[in-house]
Amino acid sequence: MQQSGASGSEMEVTWEDQQNINKFGRLNNRLHELEDEIKIAKETNENFEDASNELILTDEEIVRFQIGEVFAHVPKDEVENRIEQMKEVTEKNLEKLIEEKESILSQMAELKKILYGKFKDSINLEED
Amino acid sequence: METSASTSASVTERRGIPAAAFVEDVQIYLSQTGLDVNSALAFLQERLQQYRVVEMKLLAQQRDLQAKIPDIEKCLDVVATLQAKKGTGEALIADFEISEGIYSRARIEDTDSVCLWLGANVMLEYSREEATALLQKNLENAKASLEVLVADLQFLRDQVTITQVTIARVYNWDVHQRRLQQAVATASES
Repeated sequence: MQQSGASGSEMEVTWEDQQNINKFGRLNNRLHELEDEIKIAKETNENFEDASNELILTDEEIVRFQIGEVFAHVPKDEVENRIEQMKEVTEKNLEKLIEEKESILSQMAELKKILYGKFKDSINLEED
Repeated sequence: METSASTSASVTERRGIPAAAFVEDVQIYLSQTGLDVNSALAFLQERLQQYRVVEMKLLAQQRDLQAKIPDIEKCLDVVATLQAKKGTGEALIADFEISEGIYSRARIEDTDSVCLWLGANVMLEYSREEATALLQKNLENAKASLEVLVADLQFLRDQVTITQVTIARVYNWDVHQRRLQQAVATASES
């Protein structure tokens, strides 16, 4: 995101404008962080899916389940429960992240309207 | 997500980071500081550089903390698992890595104490409850530090934005001035 001035126009910038620009910058940063977090959450969910599928296929009674740095020998049922729980937590988290992302996108659209309205060509709020 | 409207016109600095002064009017700013346009631009550019340096440092700290937090959570997980096994009287069998790609099997008997690695080649034995309490406290401290760090970064980025806008405005004002002078010069010639 740039705020490049146009060629030599005398543009007045009030404190409120500056705050809007700052807020836009902050939202933009948070948006990028969110997109990364959402990507990771989606991958984690996929891994859980794969893991439960593998579990169904396996016929071993004891599964090596990673806790911390070690692989503990855990009965298959307990592993299934654990994976279910972890999946729920991740899904809820993913929902929250997506909600936050939508909220940020709409706030940014609002700010774009306001800032472009005042500064027109003097400001560039697009992703470079 | 924080939505505070910052009244940072009154904040002069935050944890060693100087706030960027907001410029109401470029002309007044230049006469107040007594700088000509190029010196003002140089000063602002240097400020920007300093902000970038601090930003790098904070980002590195943030990465460290973000790595530390899952570590602590994993430890809490292990202690909780031991806690759960306590009731059953069974031993916990676990495979652990002794070297890259080489694992060994361990039989962990029911025990009331765990050892925690405190760093600096120090490891202490704690009861399970004490260990959980200590790990919990470390986790909370790490999360609190991370929050403060994130707020610092936001403040810093705001100052960077303010400085960038000020640079653009001073530059534009200068170009505008030159245009005016050009116009006056050509008008008096004709």
